[in-house]
Amino acid sequence: MTVKLMQGNEAVAWGAIAAGCRFYAGYPITPSTEIAEMLSRELPKVGGKFIQMEDEIASLAACIGASVGGLKSMTATSGPGFSLMMEHVGYAAMTEVPVVVVDVQRLGPSTGQPTSASQGDVMQARWGTHGDHPIIALSPTSVTQSFDLTIKAFNYSEKYRTPVILLLDEVVGHMREKFNMPDFETVECVERIAASVPPEWYKPYGDSFSDVPPMASFGDGYRYHITGLFHDPMGYPTQRLDEIDAWIERVHRKVDRNLQDIILYEEDGLDSNQTVVVSYGASARSARHAVKLARQRRTKVGLLTLITIWPFAEDLIARIAHTAKRIVVPEMNLGQLALEVERVAGRNKVVRVNRANGEMVSPQMILEAIEGR
Amino acid sequence: MTDVPAAQAAATTESKPAAKKGPRGQVTVFGNWCKGCGICVAFCPTGVLALDTDDRPIVVQAEKCTACHWCDTHCPDLAIIVKKIEN
Amino acid sequence: MSQQEHTAYTYLRPTKKFPNVWCAGCGIGIVMGALIRAIDKIGLPKDDVALVSGIGCTGRMPVYMDFNTIHTTHGRALAFATGLKLARPSLKVIAIMGDGDAVAIGGNHFIHAARRNIGICSIVVNNSIYGMTGGQYSPTTPIGGRATTAPYGNIEPSMPICELAIAAGAAYAARSTVYHAVELERYIEQAIRKDGFSLVEAVSYCHTTYGRLNKLGTPVDMMRQLKENSVSINAVDKLTPEEMGTKIVRGVLHNIDKPEYTAVYDQLIARVQGSQGGA
Repeated sequence: MTVKLMQGNEAVAWGAIAAGCRFYAGYPITPSTEIAEMLSRELPKVGGKFIQMEDEIASLAACIGASVGGLKSMTATSGPGFSLMMEHVGYAAMTEVPVVVVDVQRLGPSTGQPTSASQGDVMQARWGTHGDHPIIALSPTSVTQSFDLTIKAFNYSEKYRTPVILLLDEVVGHMREKFNMPDFETVECVERIAASVPPEWYKPYGDSFSDVPPMASFGDGYRYHITGLFHDPMGYPTQRLDEIDAWIERVHRKVDRNLQDIILYEEDGLDSNQTVVVSYGASARSARHAVKLARQRRTKVGLLTLITIWPFAEDLIARIAHTAKRIVVPEMNLGQLALEVERVAGRNKVVRVNRANGEMVSPQMILEAIEGR
Repeated sequence: MTDVPAAQAAATTESKPAAKKGPRGQVTVFGNWCKGCGICVAFCPTGVLALDTDDRPIVVQAEKCTACHWCDTHCPDLAIIVKKIEN
Repeated sequence: MSQQEHTAYTYLRPTKKFPNVWCAGCGIGIVMGALIRAIDKIGLPKDDVALVSGIGCTGRMPVYMDFNTIHTTHGRALAFATGLKLARPSLKVIAIMGDGDAVAIGGNHFIHAARRNIGICSIVVNNSIYGMTGGQYSPTTPIGGRATTAPYGNIEPSMPICELAIAAGAAYAARSTVYHAVELERYIEQAIRKDGFSLVEAVSYCHTTYGRLNKLGTPVDMMRQLKENSVSINAVDKLTPEEMGTKIVRGVLHNIDKPEYTAVYDQLIARVQGSQGGA
């Protein structure tokens, strides 16, 4: 283990290498560019491949192509590039190809303010691509978490054969903190389930093993078809309602039946409090400080830091809503995760603390909300 | 049952008489795959094929096939093949 | 009877439903036959071949063939193919696209793949229309031609597909038509053998949409038109501009040797790892 002063984006790049990522295709965009620059330097050292594609659409496409070729793949971007990538997020979800997409959120909409932070892409991470599909999205609050969650993102992606979105923000991405980087040999990496039947028997989207079909790589002797059209267990296009329904159910079950594994969070003093702060990403840093200040003033307050943003921790929030009088949701947007909290806990219980101009939500703003001022 | 004399009359190619010597071929049509586009019939240089009453190609002058392979390289459905007859 | 002369069927997926999805007489099936025969001629093992297609009638080609096949998004086949080729340089990657897919929405990826000279063989079936969606005009629809989105006749000049690839950096570019299926097969074979970005433009027709809207007749009629309206590159000099008119020029338009992208990247890796002191 080595102790380093490291930038959040840098930690994402190292986390990718540690997780076994050996392919990066991306396009430069503030405030994510450092991830591309680092991986352009480090990937060739470990025999990996880096390419700067002509745009973000091509970047995610190339990552999916490389993943089909057997390499763990990642791309990183920010708002405008994230918007461009949406079609291929859906393609990866439909074809169940593992891939990690890092979005270092900046102030939007549109070109916005490239060097300012936001958490404005939360709903986009869930619903940015068309059609009903499950998605996994994680959001780190520190440099250490940026490293750890990148590895988690790859592991979930491989385990569940789904695209995983890593939602950083400009604050976490560009800040520098002390980081104890572990030896990469100690990092636990999950690999996609390999095909284990003779090639002639292989069904790329069969469900005989579990809801996650084993995935063969192109060139390994398993010749099969991948398409973004609705498809049958052989991967061939279908219009049959029973096959379409079966796919929809299985792919949603993939995630819905594994919430125990997928939903990550940190709780602090959550037993029968009057006020609970629910936060994530950079806002969670302000929230932690606000809670500390409130407790110094003898206010009973709990803190829930959501690390997994999607799927949303419905059951957890419902449980909290039972005993909490007030749920404070600070976000660097006009209330996106708050919509989910309100849906589960009721609008009356939720107090939004919002800032959507590129500045962080301050501890003072959150403290005032905690104390009902 | 298709009407062969009528099919012969309906042949649309300008048939060239087949050379006395030279390769010969045997034509097979996979009727289930054929969509009846008529390309093979229209372009066969020696008039081996004609359309039946279902617009499907049938061999009407088998002896004229020279195994030129025009039909089986141009069939969009891979529904016709020609095997060269070894003497 | 023996199928020895007709190994094409061994390259079709036995689990896939036939006949194929295209209209009776469509040229796409002819290109598929030429592709299969070219691969067979070269003797590529099936496991070593990957087909990457875009969206449109032409994009429906790979599913019928027993290789590693992926049907991607509209215009982006070359981007997916780039990632796949980098991940598995030993794969023979063949991209299959229509005219709209390749040079309208796919234009950017088309020129950059050619620029990189990455080892992808691109087959562009050019039927001058958007057939799958019912007959809208494409970047190669002739001026004056009617389409569902050009009811008064198309006013846009055509995108020169081969010339675009050559200008961008492709190592090989050739054009033929589905009438000239044997010549087409030969160019496809050369393109597949080429180490670098190679392009075969296979000129075809869509009798169902463009043909019907412009009264060009049956597939047989449009096939005959391809024969009459095309000329070999060797014969071009003998024709006057009036005789040339809008004839399609068939031939190998470009064939040079230049470094292939994934090979150059492998050299980069070797260089980087070498300077690390031989890990």
